[in-house]
Amino acid sequence: MSTLLVWKEQLQKIYARFSTYIIKVLQFILGLCVFGLINSNIGFMKAASSILCTIGLSAVCAFLPLVVMVIAATVLIMLHFYALSMPIMLVSLVIFLIMYIFYFRFTPKRAWIVLLTPIAFSLKVPFIIPVAFGLLGGPICVFPAAFGTIVYYILHYVKMSSSALKGGDAKGLVDSLMAFAKQSLTNKEMWVMVLAVVVSLLIVYAVRTRSVDHAWKIGSAAGAIIAIVIGAVGNVALDVHLSYGSMVLSGVLAFVVGLVLEFLFFSVDYSSTERMQFEDDEYYYYVKAVPKIVVSAPEVSVKHINARQEQFEGGEGGKGTMAANTANKKGTVKSRRPKAGPVVPKARNKAGRVDAGMAADDILLTRSLTKELGLDNLEDNLTEDSRRF
Amino acid sequence: MAGYEKSLAPEDLKISSYYKKDYTSLNTLITAIWITIGYVLAAGLIVISNIDALLKDLTITKFIIAVSIAVGAYLILLIVYCVCASGFYRSKHNQAKQRVKKYYRELSHLGKMYMKEKK
Repeated sequence: MSTLLVWKEQLQKIYARFSTYIIKVLQFILGLCVFGLINSNIGFMKAASSILCTIGLSAVCAFLPLVVMVIAATVLIMLHFYALSMPIMLVSLVIFLIMYIFYFRFTPKRAWIVLLTPIAFSLKVPFIIPVAFGLLGGPICVFPAAFGTIVYYILHYVKMSSSALKGGDAKGLVDSLMAFAKQSLTNKEMWVMVLAVVVSLLIVYAVRTRSVDHAWKIGSAAGAIIAIVIGAVGNVALDVHLSYGSMVLSGVLAFVVGLVLEFLFFSVDYSSTERMQFEDDEYYYYVKAVPKIVVSAPEVSVKHINARQEQFEGGEGGKGTMAANTANKKGTVKSRRPKAGPVVPKARNKAGRVDAGMAADDILLTRSLTKELGLDNLEDNLTEDSRRF
Repeated sequence: MAGYEKSLAPEDLKISSYYKKDYTSLNTLITAIWITIGYVLAAGLIVISNIDALLKDLTITKFIIAVSIAVGAYLILLIVYCVCASGFYRSKHNQAKQRVKKYYRELSHLGKMYMKEKK
């Protein structure tokens, strides 16, 4: 466990150091997943579904805010739908507009959850989303998670019935418009999954914010179980065809993800929990204090032992040089060491400069303080007095 | 401070240039317009998807009832969204104002430090 904690600390340090690059790389990978998923499933427009387009879009979106990726993904979906059939594109556009109007206007920063949800659904692990965002986010995340579920089922439906939806004459267009609108809104499986995701996320959030011990673990388990139960009830009551095996697997993986997230973001030591009670004039306070597990990553410091340097410091200049020269002749490994020798004095110089800088700062500070306190006059008086004596 | 200047400062400065009431009212009005558009789109989608069921045995009474339900739902949605939007934008303005205040305080503190250093 302590090794894992040390790794976590080291990971945090690495992230803090290279966060800019790490975020860009992650954004690029997310872009590859999103655009790749769209192009592989509904790539009806040949030009837009090429690998070049996927990589290019991902690369561009990696350097822009995440909301741009959401817009790019929406435009790409619309292009593919347009290539398939005009009415489908219109209905999808209306659905996307409704999503934007009712939610994304207010918090566009959370729009990327809409991208992650279809990815999780396509990987057959949808319950990871409510567990992860119930633990890390808030109840507001139910909106993007639900919209992401709807988007996934629209894409899934179009993929499954693309041949039937292909555009024909004017009457065929109107029929397909009505059929697609009806299918999009009355898909029982979609609404069951929306309900499972929403309820599970709210339960995970509600449990996670309690002060009970192991709240994150209980929340993850409860969220995963509730999602599976809702899926199973939907299967029985509404006659939808959700696979029990994949639901259970998704629930188990969601719990595992919950454990990983707890380790990364909420590692506390429940065995050292303290309960305190105190009061002031207006309130009684009942406090439960759970200490965080903090392990400082060991810092590796390489110490160069330099025979020549030591000899110089000892004051035996000539002898030291001779000794170093003889050591140089002995082997290649030893011959490298004197090369590192001059580094030490350089470092010392630097330290000296730093000291000088600090001393200058101290002097400036002292002067400004003496001026402010009026001590400079006092000092002058004292020196004059000493001269007189 | 540098982080704030890069991330939130532009939007915060823009928000804090409005009076709270003006900012809240303007954005609530914009939200009301958007909600109206969204509701029309959603209602249109529902009508298209259930057009057969709606047109079946349609009478004047049924039509009036359907329209009044739609208008009632619209009014409820509009009121709920306007109340929520008003609270949301008010708190957004408050937060932005506080951040800008803190930023200016820190900026003046930094200015004083530079002045001291110059002396």
